[in-house]
This record gives sequence, structure tokens and C-alpha cells, in this order.
Amino acid sequence: MAMQNNVDIKFSSLLRPSQIICQTEQTVRDALLLEILRLLAYERGIGNVDEAYEAVLAREKDVPTIVGPGIAMPHAKLEALDEIVVAVATSRNGIVYDSGQPDNLIKLIILTLAPKHAPGAYLQSVSCVAKICQDPTTAEVVSSLPTREKVWNFFDEGGVALPDHLRARDIMDPIEVKLLEHDTLERAIDLFVRHRLSELPVVDKDGDLIGVVSTHELLRVCLPEYILWMDDLTPIMNFEPFAEILRKESQTWLTEIMTDEYAIVRVDEPAVQVAKQITRERTNWAYVLQGKRLVGVVSLETFLSKILRE
Amino acid sequence: MLKLQDKKSALERSVRVSVLFAVPILVGLLTHAVGLDRQQVISCSIFMVIIMATLLFWKFRLAIAFVGIGALMGSNVLSLPTFLRECKLDVILFLVGMMVTVGVLKELGLFTWIIQSVIGVPGMTGSRFVAITVVLGAFMACAVDEVTSIVFVATLIFQVCDTLKVRPVPFVIIAVMGTNVGSSGTMLGNPVGILIGQNSTPPLRFIDFLMWSFPIMLVTLAFTMGILMWWFRKDIALLSERLEARRQLGLGLGPLVQVPYRRGLAILVGMILFIASHHHLEARLGLAPNTVLIVAPLVIAGFLMMWRHERSRHYIEADVEWWTLLFFMMLFAVAGTLEETHVTEKVSDYFGHLFGDQPSLLAPVIIGVSAIGSAFVDNIVFAAVFLPVVDKLEQTPLVWALVQGTCLGGNITMIGSTANIVALGMLEKRYRTSIRFFEWLKIGAVVGAVTCLISWGGIALLSPYMPTVEQRRQQAGTHTAVQPAHEEDAKAGSIHIDEGAGADQTDLRSQPGR
Repeated sequence: MAMQNNVDIKFSSLLRPSQIICQTEQTVRDALLLEILRLLAYERGIGNVDEAYEAVLAREKDVPTIVGPGIAMPHAKLEALDEIVVAVATSRNGIVYDSGQPDNLIKLIILTLAPKHAPGAYLQSVSCVAKICQDPTTAEVVSSLPTREKVWNFFDEGGVALPDHLRARDIMDPIEVKLLEHDTLERAIDLFVRHRLSELPVVDKDGDLIGVVSTHELLRVCLPEYILWMDDLTPIMNFEPFAEILRKESQTWLTEIMTDEYAIVRVDEPAVQVAKQITRERTNWAYVLQGKRLVGVVSLETFLSKILRE
Repeated sequence: MLKLQDKKSALERSVRVSVLFAVPILVGLLTHAVGLDRQQVISCSIFMVIIMATLLFWKFRLAIAFVGIGALMGSNVLSLPTFLRECKLDVILFLVGMMVTVGVLKELGLFTWIIQSVIGVPGMTGSRFVAITVVLGAFMACAVDEVTSIVFVATLIFQVCDTLKVRPVPFVIIAVMGTNVGSSGTMLGNPVGILIGQNSTPPLRFIDFLMWSFPIMLVTLAFTMGILMWWFRKDIALLSERLEARRQLGLGLGPLVQVPYRRGLAILVGMILFIASHHHLEARLGLAPNTVLIVAPLVIAGFLMMWRHERSRHYIEADVEWWTLLFFMMLFAVAGTLEETHVTEKVSDYFGHLFGDQPSLLAPVIIGVSAIGSAFVDNIVFAAVFLPVVDKLEQTPLVWALVQGTCLGGNITMIGSTANIVALGMLEKRYRTSIRFFEWLKIGAVVGAVTCLISWGGIALLSPYMPTVEQRRQQAGTHTAVQPAHEEDAKAGSIHIDEGAGADQTDLRSQPGR
């Protein structure tokens, strides 16, 4: 099944009961992953198992793929595939998946292998599984099912189809640092320096995005075009224009340097809209809105990593 | 969706191409029908192709002008020597010298100082800002040409509007209109000024502009300012409000630094004085009229390039608008072809036949026709074509009517002058917004009509005191008579000197203002 034919494909159709390892006794993560891959190689043909194993482990080494309580979604992209292949393993007692989180015992493992040429395939799969596993007890429930068929039925009855395309919400990160409309330039400079960011969103009391403050804009205010005309830097050698800004930073409202030129996407818009807006606005950030409310952000780096590498 | 857009743009392109060729063909048929000969028909048609190209395919205008020149030469309507004479290298070199000098002045901080002087004005209000913008735009145009002026004034407007978070569009329109009006004040104000001044017969002097055009400009500028202040009163009130709020917080409109502006100011004043004294220097040195005028910016640019030799290549390559200048050269040559093939003579005869020889009747006609023409076609094109027509009518006030009409007509539409196009380009690049054609046209038509009426009144008032064409010839001839060798030089180039006049023309010239 090629990616472009995903319309109305149920998630359960990516999976056969024979691709499920039910209530495994295995307690070592890597050994279990190898077992799942061997099963997939037997059932679906995924090319060289060792290569697939290395690819899956390499991805886990970067960041462990724990996506929820008791659930892990290891994945890799393989040259040999031309469609998404999924396998599931459940563990009654759970296994230590990430040595950094020894208490988070993983009871449900959903392994996704995607063709190398299918950007975002894994995220599509995650997005789909997230809908099936909305309940935090999902891992517990699935791992208690005694047979492959019952596990398969669980996913089939979930009835969720693999999304036709990724949406902005699937790739966005939560907003960690933001400015409020009544903040001053002083606070903006503090945040820029403290968090080493080049751009900060500004929201009003309702959380609606009203503008963006960037270090570039700050620099432009300090060194406006008419000062840049001069060839001789002597008048600004000691950062005189910056000194003036610093003197007044606690009195200067953000609206002074806030710009309304930034990339926005709606939360349900296709993720490719993020790329379009980032390119069109020549920026590195796209802000994700629900109505007018700011709900997330996608940086260019995140976009590339999630779409082209995950 | 994309396919639909592609189809739409393909259809639009086809319509444009059809119009590009249909109109010149129509002009060719009409000119043939009214009895013009083959060469005249070809020159009219190719001229119309270039005009239509500037309207329909702005980005291709230079390429089409090159091909047009080739077509004129290929059809034996334009010869190589005529092309070299008519492309008016003197005007082009003058503009090159000015552009290099302005580039150096910019780097020396002169324009930074001017902008800082405005944003540092204490107690600034919206009305005061508009008044300063209009006057600054006009006087800078008088000193360093309209395009340079609008680039700097628009930067000032963007700085203020960005800081105060107000819509820049009204203030850009205000600045452009002030600049266009101001550009009629001196010979340096507009490429049209130097073209008409240098190529009318006999040539006009810098002082002539100060005596006959500058006073009219001052009056039209005052009226323009009044109209603009009334028209944009709401935007100006908002600006005042924001300025007051900012003042209460003790905040300025932008950083102010100590700029070493004196060298730049001295160079600018020196250049203007050098240019202004051209007539006296030419008389003393026995040079052909306007030799010093044309050479002064080049000489100053040369000295500046020697002084700042490490940047000299940059000034030539980056500060000189070669694209525009080459387009001007092609246009001048095509317009010269109309003169060479006696098309302009026929138009002139037609005008004389229709309106007689009374300047009181002809002046408003020339102002009106050139203003409306300049509103839709680059004003320099109109000036280049209409100058021989006006010259043939041999009346001094009509030359000033042409100067006024072509400069003031630029305000009517958003494509009326180079300053408008430059300002709109800056606005679009910075704010990704544009001005609607009719938004401009509404105020443009009012300002255009009022200023044209005032300039008509001004010309009517001043014409009894203007020197006649014969008197101007005598003035021009006094210092060329001692150096007859220059006559040949002048003929080879485009520096025009007295070529004699018929007895019947002398009769006309005996009347005041002719």
C-alpha cells in the first residue's frame, strides 16, 4: 500500500493477527524488537532484518519512542519497503524500555516500518494510534487481552483510519516561552538571552496570538535603515543607538518592536501548510492556532526532523 | 485550482500581447490614412510599441526598446549617426554624475542627518510632520532629483509609521505628491527638467528655472499641501494622537546619533552653486550653452571618486541606475526619430492650426495634454516627444507649460512618474501592501487638476516678463559667437545653439513672452 493511497485505510488493515506477539515473556527491549522484526520479515518481507534492527535501535538511541503511559512506538524507514508495515507486541508485566524511565513499564509496543521515500509516514501512524489509545489505560487493557485475534479486534473496533495526511497538530511542539502584550522590551531581551531564542510570540489575556517579537526586529529598531546608509561607523562605534534603547527598555512596550508578519497555520490544516508558510514568510517558525488562540509552534528544524527523518 | 490560475494568466498574457501589437498597428493604419509617409508611419508605430510595452510589460520595457531601435534601423528610418545624436548622451552623463554624487552623499551621512533632524524635531504633530514631509520632499527633489528625494523621504515615513504603528500609505502618497510638485522647481528636480532645459531651442539655463518655474512650484506646493492635509485629515489626526502618547512616555521616533554631516552638506551646496553658476562660467570661458551644467556633476563625481577611490567602482556599479538610463537613451532615440521624420513638425502644425499662436490658449492645452499624457506614460517619454512640437511653436511660455504639465501630471496616477513607481515598490517590499489604482486616482486627479490650473495661472501671469525665444537666442549666442568652433561640436552632440530663424518667426517673437 503506497502512501498516496491511504484514503480511508483503517489502521487495523496495516496489521494482521499473525503480526501480533501477545503477552510476551521477553523482558529485554532489544531482544523483543529483534523478535518483532523477524516476525515481520517472515510475514511481510521487510528485506534485511539486521539492517532494520540497526535502524530501529539507532532511532531509539536518539530519543526513546515512548509516546504515552505504557506505550512505545519504535519505528524506522527502510529502502526495501514501499508501504507501511506494522507489528504489535504486548507484555503482561511490562518491560523497562528506557533506562532513564525505569518506572514507566511498557506493555504495548507498536512497531512501524515505513518506506524511506514517505515523509511523515511514521507521524501519520502515531496520529492514528493516538486516537485509538486516547484512554490512558489503553496499554493496560490491550496487554490483558489473551489472544492475537482479540488484540487485532481492539484496533479494528477502534475504527480509526490512517489519516490521509499529517496535520499541523501532529508535528507541533507546545509553546514553552511566550510574552504577554503588556510586557516590556526589557522582558523580551531577558527571554531572548535566557532561552537563546531568536523569536517569541506575544499573546493577549485570552491567549490569542497578537504578534511576534524577533531579535532581528530588535536589531532593526536599534539600527534603522537611515543609520545603515552611513559608511563611517564612528558615530555608532560604542553602540550609541543600542544605549538609547537600553535606557528606555523598561518603558518601551513590546508593541514598539512587535511585528504582525509571521507564519501561522490552523491546527487542522495539512502539515505541508507549515512548510508553505515558513517558506512564504521567510522565517524559521510557524505558529499553530486554534481559532485565534496560540496552541503550538513548529520550527523549521522540527519540521525537517519530523517529516524527513522520523 | 492551479490549472485555472495558469489558464487565467495565459489568457491575460495573450490579451496583453495582442494589445501590444494591435494598438501600434492601429496607429500605423491611422497615420497612413491621414497622409503620413512610410517612414513616419513606421516611426509612429514603433514608438507606440515601446509606449505600450512600458504599460503592459513593465519588466520587458528595456528589451522591447532595444528591439524597437533595431527595427527602426532595419527599416532605414533611423540611421546610426542619428541614433547616437538623439540618444542624448549629455542628459545621460549628467544623470550619471548626479547619481554617483548622491551615492557618496548618502555614505557621508548627509541624508541620515536630514532624517534625524526631522525625527528629532521637538513637539512634532501630525500636521507638522506632513508639512515637513511635503517641503522636504519638494526641496530635496529640487536639489538632488525626485527619485533620490523620494527614496530618502519614504525611509523617513517608514521609520515614523513603524514606530507609531500607523498606516504608511497616506503619508507615502503625501510625500510622493510633494516630491513631484517640487521636481518642477529646478532643472535638477526631474530628468524632464534637464531634458527640456538642455534640448529646447535655445537651451534653458539653471537660473531660468529659478526665475520662471520655481515661484510657480512654491505656490502649487502650498496648495498641494493644503489639499493633502484636508484629504488625509483623519490619518494625520491619528498620527498626532500617537505622537502625543509617545511624547508623554518620553520616547522619540528613532535613535539619534551624532552624524558628521558637514562634509556632505558642503559638497551638496558646492555642487548646486557650481551648477547654478554655469551660465556665468560658460560666458567667461566662451563655452557652448549648458556645457558647465552638464559637466559639473561629472567633475564633482570624478573628484569624489578620486577621494574615495576604494569605493569608486561601487558608486558606478551600484548607485547608477543603468537600467533606467539605458531605457531613457532608447526612448530619446525613438522620440528623436519622430522629430527626424518630421512627425513632431506635423503635430506642431496641427496644434498651431487648431489653437492659433496665442500662448493664452496654447499654454493650458500644452499643460493639460502633457499632464494627462504623463499620468499614463512615463513623463520623460512625453517630454521627449512633445519638446520638438513645443519648440516648433517658438513661444517661451509653452516650454514652461510643458515642464509644469509633465511634472504635475505625474501626480494623477500611481504610474505617473518614476518617483511614484519607486515609492510604491518600496512600500510593497516593506509592507507587502499596495495602493489601489483608484485610491490614488481620486486624490491624484484633484491635486493634478488644481496644480495644473495654478501653473496655468502662474505662466499666464509671468509670461509678459519672460524673455522671447529671440532674446534667449541672443543670450545664448553672446558667448558662443566668440567660439564658432563649438557650433560644430554642439551640432554633433545634442547641445543646441542658434540655428537661425525665418522672418515670419521673428514676427511672432516680437510679442511678449515669445
